[in-house]
Amino acid sequence: MIASIIFYIASGILLLSAAMVVTSRNPVHSVLFLILAFINAAVLFLLAGAEFLAMVLAIVYIGAVAVLFLFVVMMLDVNFAALREGYQRYAPVGALVGFVLFAELALVVMNFVIAPGAAVLRLSPAPGDVTNTVALGELIYTRYILLFQLSGMVLLVAMIGAIVLTHRDRKKSLRPDVARQQARQVADTLTMVRAEFGAGVKLVSPPATPQAEEISQ
Amino acid sequence: MFTTLAVFAPLAGAFLTLLLRPFLSRNLAVGVSIIFIIISAFCGVVPAVRHLIIGAPDQTITLGSFISVGHFAANWALQQDALSLVMVAMVSVVSALIHIYSFGYMSHDRTMPRFFVYMSLFTFAMLMLVTADNLLQLFFGWEGVGLVSYLLIGYWYDKPAANAAAIKAFVVNRVGDLGFAIGIALIYLQFHSIQFDHIFAASGAMVDAKYTLFGTQFPVLEVIAVLLFIGAMGKSAQIFLHTWLADAMEGPTPISALIHAATMVAAGVFLVVRMSPLISLAPGAEDFITIIGSATALFAATVACVQTDIKRIIAYSTCSQLGYMFIAAGVGADPAAMFHLINHAFFKALLFLAAGSVIHALSEEQDIRKMGGLWRKLPVTYVVMWVGALALAAIPPFSGYYSKDVILEAAYAANSQAGMFGWACGNIAALLTAFYVSRLILMVFHGAPRAAPEIMEHAHESPAVMTGPLVVLALGALSSGFLLDRPFVGADMANFWGSAIAAGPHGSILLAIEQLPEWVAKLPLLMSLAGLGLGFLFYVTLPAIPVALAARFQSIYQFLLHKWYFDEVYDALLVRPSWRLAKFLWHVGDDQMIDGIPNGVAHLTSDASTQAIKMQTGSIAIYAFVMLIGLLALVSIFLLVR
Amino acid sequence: MTSMADIALHALMPDILIALAAMGLLLFGVLSKRDHALACTVTAVIVFVVAARFILAAPAGAIFGGLFLTDDFTRYADMLVLLGCSGALILSVDFNRREAIGRFEFPVLVMFSALGMLVMVSAGNMMTLYLGLELQSLALYVVAAFARDDLRSTEAGLKYFILSALASGLLLYGISLVYGFSGTTDFAGLAHALASSARANDGALVGIVFVMVGLAFKLSAAPFHMWTPDVYEGAPTPVTSLFSTAPKMAAMALLLRLLMGPFAPLLSQWQMLIEIIAIASMLLGALGAIGQLNIKRLMAYSSISHMGYALIGLAAGTEAGVSATLVYMAIYTVMSLGVFGCIIAMRRGGKQVELISDLAGLDRRNRGLALAMAALMLALAGIPPLSGFWGKLYVFYAAVQSGLYGLAVIGVLTSVVAAFYYLRVIKVMYFDEAAPSFDHHSKAVGLMIAGCAALSALFVFVPGPVSQAASVAAHALLGAG
Repeated sequence: MIASIIFYIASGILLLSAAMVVTSRNPVHSVLFLILAFINAAVLFLLAGAEFLAMVLAIVYIGAVAVLFLFVVMMLDVNFAALREGYQRYAPVGALVGFVLFAELALVVMNFVIAPGAAVLRLSPAPGDVTNTVALGELIYTRYILLFQLSGMVLLVAMIGAIVLTHRDRKKSLRPDVARQQARQVADTLTMVRAEFGAGVKLVSPPATPQAEEISQ
Repeated sequence: MFTTLAVFAPLAGAFLTLLLRPFLSRNLAVGVSIIFIIISAFCGVVPAVRHLIIGAPDQTITLGSFISVGHFAANWALQQDALSLVMVAMVSVVSALIHIYSFGYMSHDRTMPRFFVYMSLFTFAMLMLVTADNLLQLFFGWEGVGLVSYLLIGYWYDKPAANAAAIKAFVVNRVGDLGFAIGIALIYLQFHSIQFDHIFAASGAMVDAKYTLFGTQFPVLEVIAVLLFIGAMGKSAQIFLHTWLADAMEGPTPISALIHAATMVAAGVFLVVRMSPLISLAPGAEDFITIIGSATALFAATVACVQTDIKRIIAYSTCSQLGYMFIAAGVGADPAAMFHLINHAFFKALLFLAAGSVIHALSEEQDIRKMGGLWRKLPVTYVVMWVGALALAAIPPFSGYYSKDVILEAAYAANSQAGMFGWACGNIAALLTAFYVSRLILMVFHGAPRAAPEIMEHAHESPAVMTGPLVVLALGALSSGFLLDRPFVGADMANFWGSAIAAGPHGSILLAIEQLPEWVAKLPLLMSLAGLGLGFLFYVTLPAIPVALAARFQSIYQFLLHKWYFDEVYDALLVRPSWRLAKFLWHVGDDQMIDGIPNGVAHLTSDASTQAIKMQTGSIAIYAFVMLIGLLALVSIFLLVR
Repeated sequence: MTSMADIALHALMPDILIALAAMGLLLFGVLSKRDHALACTVTAVIVFVVAARFILAAPAGAIFGGLFLTDDFTRYADMLVLLGCSGALILSVDFNRREAIGRFEFPVLVMFSALGMLVMVSAGNMMTLYLGLELQSLALYVVAAFARDDLRSTEAGLKYFILSALASGLLLYGISLVYGFSGTTDFAGLAHALASSARANDGALVGIVFVMVGLAFKLSAAPFHMWTPDVYEGAPTPVTSLFSTAPKMAAMALLLRLLMGPFAPLLSQWQMLIEIIAIASMLLGALGAIGQLNIKRLMAYSSISHMGYALIGLAAGTEAGVSATLVYMAIYTVMSLGVFGCIIAMRRGGKQVELISDLAGLDRRNRGLALAMAALMLALAGIPPLSGFWGKLYVFYAAVQSGLYGLAVIGVLTSVVAAFYYLRVIKVMYFDEAAPSFDHHSKAVGLMIAGCAALSALFVFVPGPVSQAASVAAHALLGAG
């Protein structure tokens, strides 16, 4: 009874906050609502007896991903109002498409019968004598080792990708060369010329320095 | 063996000339084809003479399969019976003489080798035609000569008139060929073979077979015979399909002599004679042939009387003489038709070549009103022209006398309405023939010169290379009559022709002419003499008469001068409506529909393409949206259609 | 269990090899002072070749409780995947060096992507499917944006990433529907569940529609093709050549595996959807390419239409159809690599040029290249006796055998339209005013072009091995399902 009440509360908040993620005008609010949605999803996992998943969701998604999102949203100067420009125009069509799709899926769910064996197949409860985490671990590292390793590959590729696309070689960046700045002498750059009155100055080429060469080029 | 050589030597000559032309001088290249044609002539004559003397049995050389589809089979073959041998000899000899003559006549032509290639090809095609043992090979030769005829009429392709004449000849011949082709198809349908011996063996059983069309019954053999004859009409320029022949004179004169007088135009006669075993079983078709032949003989003779172009006069004369041959074929005197065909080949080739000699001498002048008084300048031409003229006018002992006499007697002896019509027309035409031929010679060679003095100054006898063939042909025109009289239509007839020409129900007609009254036999000669006399009267004694007559009977004169207005009527009835229909089909049918539909589809495609590209805006939102719509569509379709 | 482990090790050997080699190269690349792009690329290609050798030797079977499958079908698809990846790598060497993006991460990422594709091909479970798909996609996003200083390249990477995320979401949603309604993600279990009751299938079938959409996106089949032209155009050319070959084969293999495996009994239910996708792809590919000026964009549309043709074989839903699709993919992979080789050879004044008009008069400047390009274009257009014709012939034949006359007719009509733009390229090369000549391309690229063009042109003489292998593969697939 209590479980049911908690389920409906958590589900309701989850749906509401999901809607708010999409509709909020302020992106920071969106991310915060996203975090709320994650928390409620974790609650649902807990209710289902999957405490490991609930914790992972809380730690990884809320602790890492959502917070990173928040940083990004706050750091990037994105004009979200401009991004929403076409919203009014496309909203009706989008709503229509969404509604039809929703109606069809509802039809699917309501009218269609679940395979008779499905419930049995799906119900593979954790062994009673070990905790949820242990049970998962026993499966992941034996039967599903392939999937586990592949997930690792996916993450590795994601990491490589992030580095490849963003990492810049240091030599090419615009950093000051402190040693060279320190070593510079006045005579390297400055030439004193005495100007005769009315005769002007005949320019002599300054002593060759790297900068001067660059400038002349 | 000889026949094979005779047939293929011209082909080899043509190809060699074509291939060697880039490496040899013009004259040498031409010489190759002349040498090959002379070989052909020699090889053509030998078997014919052997047959004449020894009477070797008929045989057929099969060269290979032409088409073999299901039950339909046709071979390449060389038939060697009297009919084929005679034709091969005549064609190859005349062709050889004209080749030699052309070497002189065409010497100033820029593309002389092309001319000789065409001529050699023509000779090959004609020989294939006459040696065929089935209708398909005959048709091959038939169309082959038609093609070369087209090419040679339009030989001077920079002359618009020559092109128009070539197209006209081709188109008019198509009309006849359509009949011929349908005839062949019907023969195959009825006899399940196009092999001559099979057809003739089976035709007796077909006498009672009938087609039913629109509720009327047509005897099968009559239909086939008429269709075949329609083909012959086109090729042999019989009335209604004759209009191309006079225009064909736009080609070089040797061509007029070879193709449009001696050989190709006689192919129609040859076809009818070749098919005589079948046609003789179709009396209605025979009458039709006789009537058309008679009408042509008379019609063409009347037209020839008033023409002023030397070649056109002879062309109409050709038309008329072919009419005679069809009269003979129509009344069942096929040997007489062949006899006249051979004689005619010699004297008509002679006349054309002589005319060519005259034209050559007068710097391409063809109008006889601008000639006259040439006999001193061109003595050889003058003499041989007379030989040809007398042969044409059927004066003994020249060849035409023998054959024309037999034809008219046979027509009388046929003792039918059509036969009598043919006899009457033939006699009148004989008078007219003698008249126009004397008119021709008298206007060209006698009287005061009417050509410009400087042209007369230049007028000279042709070189030996031209006069030589003329003399040979003159000898032929002089002698072929009495030499061939006996084997062709005389006592040795049955022995000579063997099974090549069917006896048929009229087979004895040539024997029946012996019992005819004396006056019937004498009448044609009298007519001819009268015609000659008339010619003398009009153009030597009293030259005012023709002028006065022309003025007095202006309408008749114009009617004849315009060749009975055939061209004008055809133009109004057929050519112009065809043009209008063609224009309509072009603008509406082709431009708007045949082109319109693909063009429309193309426009549609490019429009659709533009739309497809427009969708590609680059906006991720749109892309995602399209994907969602696609998903929606798929799910909806799935739920609805499932 | 040792024997089981042995089998697992054997079957997984190629994948383990590629993973270890990729990580090894990564370490080597990071630790070494200088950049060893060339050495890494060569190593990667060699690793692919060795992996191919292992794949051919691997025993058939299902390991890890059906998570991972090996049979003749996976072997065939693996070969094509590795061919596509190796081809793209070979093409990349010269291009990346000249564009100054030659870094060792490129071959490493391509190797990870290849690993993902191999896993996709061998997937026997929805989870394996998804992980393989994500692994290859993630690597592809990065290589699409590899020329990170080029706006178009980064845009391409971003677009592909976002749309791919959407497609992945749909795919995942579909998988969850399938799981929810059938209670399993295992293909064999699915087959069992779906076969047990006809009525119970509907929920899973809607799920499979979503999965189909996700895979159709990877295939760039219409209407999920929208990313294709932009990404093809923007991504560095070797990456485009990779996009158009290996992932397509992997996605197609998965579609075949799913639809002809567990969902084979429900052919009548999904057949229509595949037909629609095929028709839409053929039409869009044919129409969209007509107005294009950029040859990479043109190839994008060409790719879309070719996927439509390949799907015809799947729509036929027979063993012959599957075999036809497999042959088609092989032929398409070779043609595609050849064309992209030609495009990479299009450099003028040290810069990549990619307009069709840049090919003008190529015949007079570089006869061999023009000839190869012409042969490939004719092959793409499906002119007999070149390879493209036979591919089309197989799929149309399969369609007609299954009574899908309409599909075959539309296919023929659209290939007529498509022939227009392929022939236009040839017309430009042979009849237009000659443009300045291209820079010299490297021997490797030249060999690649020549090899692919020769294979495409001379396919008529050696259709046996390919079609035989394809029919063996098709037989293995249908036998397993």
